[in-house]
Amino acid sequence: MIPLRQFLQLALQALLRNRMQTGLAVLGMAVGVGALVTSVALGRGAQDAIADQLRAAGANVIVVTAGNYMAAHKVIKDDIVEGRADPNPLDLLFPNSGLRKVSWHPASLSGGLLQAVGGAQGRLQKVHFEDDPFAKHDHPTAAQRLGDAMAGLGSAATLTREDAAAIRKIPGVQYVVSGVHNNSRVFIAGHRDEKWFTRMHGTEADLPEIRTGWVFPHGRFLNPNEVEGKEQVMALGQIVSDHLFGPKVNPVGKIVFLWNQPFKVVGLIGSRSWAQQPAVGDDEFDAVYVPVTTVNHLLDLSKLNNITITTKSVGQTTQVAKEIGDLLRKRHKIADGMPADFTVKTQAEQVIGKGLSPELAYAVGGNAKSMDQLTIAKLSGSLERANRTMLGLLAGVATVSLLVGGIGVMNLLLLSVTQRTREVGLRMAVGARRSDVAVQFVLEAMLLSVAGGLVGVLAGVLASGSLERFFKWSADISSMSAVMAVVVAAVIGMVFGVYPARRAAQLDPIEALRHE
Amino acid sequence: MPVISLQNLKKSYKLGDNTVHALRGASLDIEAGEFVTITGPSGSGKSTLMHILGCLDRPTDGKYLLNDRDVSNLSRDELAAIRNKQIGFVFQGFNLLPRTTAVENVEVPLLYSRPAMPAIERRKLALAALKSMGLEERAHHHPSQLSGGQQQRVAIARALVNQPSLILADEPTGNLDTKTSIEVMRILQELRERRAITIVLITHEPDIAAYGTRIISVRDGAIVSDKPNDPTPALEHVAEVEAPRMAANGI
Ligand SMILES: Nc1ncnc2c1ncn2[C@@H]1O[C@H](COP(=O)(O)OP(=O)(O)O)[C@@H](O)[C@H]1O
Ligand SMILES: [Mg+2]
Repeated sequence: MIPLRQFLQLALQALLRNRMQTGLAVLGMAVGVGALVTSVALGRGAQDAIADQLRAAGANVIVVTAGNYMAAHKVIKDDIVEGRADPNPLDLLFPNSGLRKVSWHPASLSGGLLQAVGGAQGRLQKVHFEDDPFAKHDHPTAAQRLGDAMAGLGSAATLTREDAAAIRKIPGVQYVVSGVHNNSRVFIAGHRDEKWFTRMHGTEADLPEIRTGWVFPHGRFLNPNEVEGKEQVMALGQIVSDHLFGPKVNPVGKIVFLWNQPFKVVGLIGSRSWAQQPAVGDDEFDAVYVPVTTVNHLLDLSKLNNITITTKSVGQTTQVAKEIGDLLRKRHKIADGMPADFTVKTQAEQVIGKGLSPELAYAVGGNAKSMDQLTIAKLSGSLERANRTMLGLLAGVATVSLLVGGIGVMNLLLLSVTQRTREVGLRMAVGARRSDVAVQFVLEAMLLSVAGGLVGVLAGVLASGSLERFFKWSADISSMSAVMAVVVAAVIGMVFGVYPARRAAQLDPIEALRHE
Repeated sequence: MPVISLQNLKKSYKLGDNTVHALRGASLDIEAGEFVTITGPSGSGKSTLMHILGCLDRPTDGKYLLNDRDVSNLSRDELAAIRNKQIGFVFQGFNLLPRTTAVENVEVPLLYSRPAMPAIERRKLALAALKSMGLEERAHHHPSQLSGGQQQRVAIARALVNQPSLILADEPTGNLDTKTSIEVMRILQELRERRAITIVLITHEPDIAAYGTRIISVRDGAIVSDKPNDPTPALEHVAEVEAPRMAANGI
């Protein structure tokens, strides 16, 4: 209908006539849009950082353990309640806890906890108490000494690499690592008598993806070819390397003996965080890592102690954990209502469990499903709260800055209408309709604000880039948010242009032509 | 059929309790091809009449037929369309857009033509109008680079570009010296003679009024005299004015 290109050209000419004022209005809008883009980028960066930290904290880790210590625990508890003469498991589980009898008496537990503990249905065959994963052993467990069946785990230790492969196909699963663990002695050639007693982990190449706190000062982790080929290669925890070779020695390429078999060292594992210093006796750095396939081959084992899984997002962890449980029950042909021969736990609940008193820890273990949900709900709840605060802040900054930009645009246009009253009168005299005049001023406002928007996006990109670079803030600019910022600027320009445009359109041509 | 037919046209302005009667019942017919000059003292209602004739304003009472159509009660947008197509304005102060070239100034009315006209077409018509004013060389000059006479010729080109049947000029020579004024009057006379365009011109100078074919005198919002006139031939007049000056310059 209207010759839009011509009107745009007119608007541009009009703006270029007042370069100074136009520049200032564009600058005002640019500051607004720049603030918007920067704060959106910082907001998104902060959200990513929170999610990353949750992932780093292991909130997305699921561990499937062979055996069902919950069921095992029930047996123990029942034994006590019924006054059996079996050795008191507390002596072994918490040797120095001083909890004996006093705290273990059912009367000292709250009703709710008791219910949780007693919640497991049915009596199970007796399981060796040493295989309770809650206990930390400084000696080989019964299963390790005696083998799966002899240890009384029987059909319980049924996790296989096929189970792991099946889990890998569940949607939402990120990494899957099969593991066997053992307490073993390692030594180096010529020092057969100076054995180091440590943790042996048979594992897969993806483990460092899960252990996000690891760094490799020397070498690398096991690679998929070595795992596939059952090779005798080994990654050393910092503590083991320090004891075998001395501190600050590069162990890569050296030979370490395990079960009297030579293993070539491919890498040294250290801790990324000062908060987690490698220590003697810890499970991660006082440890050696070899391919799970090699362990199965050398020891003629087919079973796994556990499978560690991570999910792509923290929010999926509960759902994926449930799906893993259902899948394994089906694969292990466990009838509905019967206790499983494995345990699915999320890291979140382990973290919670760590900070609790022993009684509560058992309660947590006994009520794992609802505890897991509670934990995830708590975590995602605080994430959401953080997001909402951030979004509120962003909305505030964006509103104020865009308001300022919009007012700048309106100010320039009102000035322009006054300055160009005669022009408007002339245009009306030669046939411009009121709508033609209004459109022209609105176009000017939009041109101004889009120009401001483009400059602002550029400024925002630069600002968040340098904040990220020089201040290590995390910022995340998406092209979508850049496009949205320009669109928002255009809309703001339109809204703030309407009032001056109406004023121009309502001028009386005769009065306007007389205007000086 | 007259181009303009006014029947008992009245216009009054309310100023607080007072009512100013700017036009107190004007009736007149203007035929195609007439060159009407309207004179009268300041405040007599000339401009008010001109605004109504130019469809910039509406009468309080009475009827205005333009080309046989009653335009007394049309909407603002309908009046805008009539101004665009049928009327060309020439103002005392030229009213050219500053920092805009001559040809772009001439194009302005074409921007508001409906249906919309392609840019090439607009440019072609604007250049033709400038050429008819002898300004094709100045097409890309800004008003500030042109003399007063040249500026008024650009304004006349703008008034002509949509080929109106009526040209309204309010004191078009008010800002010009005598010689340039006569040049402008010559242009208007030629437009009437060669293109049969109807011209209504307002002036308070009797000399200028004498270039028209009909002189109307207005006083206190009423027409007091309306006489045919034997127009002063502007062409000869230019020569008369020019001759002594050329002689003085030794030409
Ligand atoms: N917009 C207006 N409001 C009030 N009075 C007006 C207005 N326009 C003109 N007048 C009055 O109407 C009368 C005629 O004015 P005008 O037509 O401009 O006279 P002229 O052009 O002959 O000098 C004057 O008394 C003037 O004050
Ligand atoms: Mg006047």
